[in-house]
Amino acid sequence: MSTLIQQFRKQLWSPYIAGIALGIVGVLSVWVSDSLLGASGAFENLAGILGKAVAPQAFDNMYFNFIMPSEITWGVMLLVGIMIGGFLGALSSRSFKLTVNGDTQWKAIFGPQTWKRWGLAFLGAIILEYGAGIAGGCTSGLAISGGMLLAPAAFIFIAAMFASGILTSLIVYRKRY
Amino acid sequence: MTNMILALVLGAFFGLTLNKAGLTRYSKIVNVFRFTDMTVLKFMMTALIVSMAGLYGLRELGLITFPNIPATYIAGNAIGGLIFGVGMALTGY
Repeated sequence: MSTLIQQFRKQLWSPYIAGIALGIVGVLSVWVSDSLLGASGAFENLAGILGKAVAPQAFDNMYFNFIMPSEITWGVMLLVGIMIGGFLGALSSRSFKLTVNGDTQWKAIFGPQTWKRWGLAFLGAIILEYGAGIAGGCTSGLAISGGMLLAPAAFIFIAAMFASGILTSLIVYRKRY
Repeated sequence: MTNMILALVLGAFFGLTLNKAGLTRYSKIVNVFRFTDMTVLKFMMTALIVSMAGLYGLRELGLITFPNIPATYIAGNAIGGLIFGVGMALTGY
């Protein structure tokens, strides 16, 4: 038992073990909640809530009323849970710390300035969310959740995601690729 | 209401696996695109295999019905994926 706890507290698990755990979570979410593990949709729900508070007329449309309802949905709760889970995971391995720009590889490539990290994170996240909106999901909601139901969309998405990801990092890293 | 609490708990386990696989780090995400660290693929594909087997098995047993399967519209999925990949490689999310 104590070795099990020791294994649990490790900062990094084998990706296969973590993958098996996620697979079980994916099955359970369909089984107990009849839902898929989607993370990117929650942004639209939250944006809708904010939008309806600020400019109710502009947000009174089909999209924010029915397709992505502006309310606290299952997906929003899932997102909150993800944050809690990540936090608990970091606590369990005693690796939790607050950083504003923590990744050494990032600093080596883009430079040490924090504003760059934040600026590019902001810009990149817009690109991410936009792409996810067009494709109908993100890595979790479409690639993993769709893939486990054998939806063709998931595999088209994975292929496209890797193609442009590889190309983008080739451009960013150039000789250091 | 119960469903909302379930979402919170499922999310917590989801976040825990992401944290323990190291996928909360920029380097882990971007290095799969450089073929220097295949954690993302190992993690994703293991999860896919386990959940595929679990879901189809449970459906055969008549214990679950599938929810709405994400829609396939080839151009949208592909273009969305291409845009998504750019953001993923830039931010490491």
